[in-house]
Amino acid sequence: MGDDEPMTDPNAKAVTVAGPSDAGDGAVDLSVHPSGIVPQLQNIVATVNLDCKLDLKTIAFHARNVEYNPKRFAAAIMRIRAPKTTALIFSSGKMVCTGAKTEALAREAARKYAKVISKLGFPAQFKDFKIQNMVGSCDVKFPIRLEGLAWSHGHFAQYEPELFPGLIYRMQMPKIVLLIFVSGKIVLTGGKNRDDIYKAFENIYPVLTEFRKLPNPNDEDVLAQLAAPSAAGAAALPAP
Amino acid sequence: MAYYELYRRSTLGMTLTDALDEMVTTGELTPTIAMKVLAQFDKFMNGALKSLKTKLSFKGDLETYRFCDNVWTFMLKNVTFDVSGPGGDKRAASVDRLKIVACDGKAVLGV
Repeated sequence: MGDDEPMTDPNAKAVTVAGPSDAGDGAVDLSVHPSGIVPQLQNIVATVNLDCKLDLKTIAFHARNVEYNPKRFAAAIMRIRAPKTTALIFSSGKMVCTGAKTEALAREAARKYAKVISKLGFPAQFKDFKIQNMVGSCDVKFPIRLEGLAWSHGHFAQYEPELFPGLIYRMQMPKIVLLIFVSGKIVLTGGKNRDDIYKAFENIYPVLTEFRKLPNPNDEDVLAQLAAPSAAGAAALPAP
Repeated sequence: MAYYELYRRSTLGMTLTDALDEMVTTGELTPTIAMKVLAQFDKFMNGALKSLKTKLSFKGDLETYRFCDNVWTFMLKNVTFDVSGPGGDKRAASVDRLKIVACDGKAVLGV
């Protein structure tokens, strides 16, 4: 579950180039992911309308794995193990389902919650299922100069290391917010579909390579480290 | 003052209830006095357990939980209790299933 997109390693690019556009058997479709990196979906938030008034106390009393503390929060919080998700159930009949890793799992989970509620005797429907937010993440596997990026993209980027260590990049098209960290790890959020997440990453990837943090030339240890893997890589290539 | 009545279903509470029932049926006590005794029992069970310093740790797989009306209910499976004797000997006791009902201790003296 959730592994329909294989983890990609930039080093594996050479292999994927050999067999383009036949994604599905482990290869990355470079027409969709020119960077060779596929952001992994981490969380999906979806809403659905069960279209009937609910008595949350009845639900909390009869269903399993429910928390209902009306003094603190007006919704009942229910969890299921598969797909591992959490639902917020409101007395209006509206429900928010969070934690799923794919669109299909979010829908499956929401259906399961609706079934639990209908088994308790409520005439629950399944209306207006909608994915509200998607969060993806990936690792470009090189460090990034956030100050430089913030300077040249001042219009979209916000970087205040004293407040938050990541750079916040508000992309306009697609409308996605990216959190970019020095380590090269990226979080993409605010998407309504998976393609927006992918597109946003492909948009930012050239910028990230532009602001790749290069090792200090005075630091011989780093230079040695940098030289070592490339030398090994060269050695591994078959002789022409 | 009202106290939780949940300790009436403990072994101690059940035997007391049985004894009181017997005395009421034989006419040794009036039902009113029997109820007063039970109320005293509730009060002192709550008080006595509050002053306990003993600790017991146990571990298990949480199967289901519920929080409703300020009461937590937990159903556990494969539970092992750490039963360490006073002489420092370590022993473990285990049960297949365990139900925990936990009420808010601060709410006891309210009402």
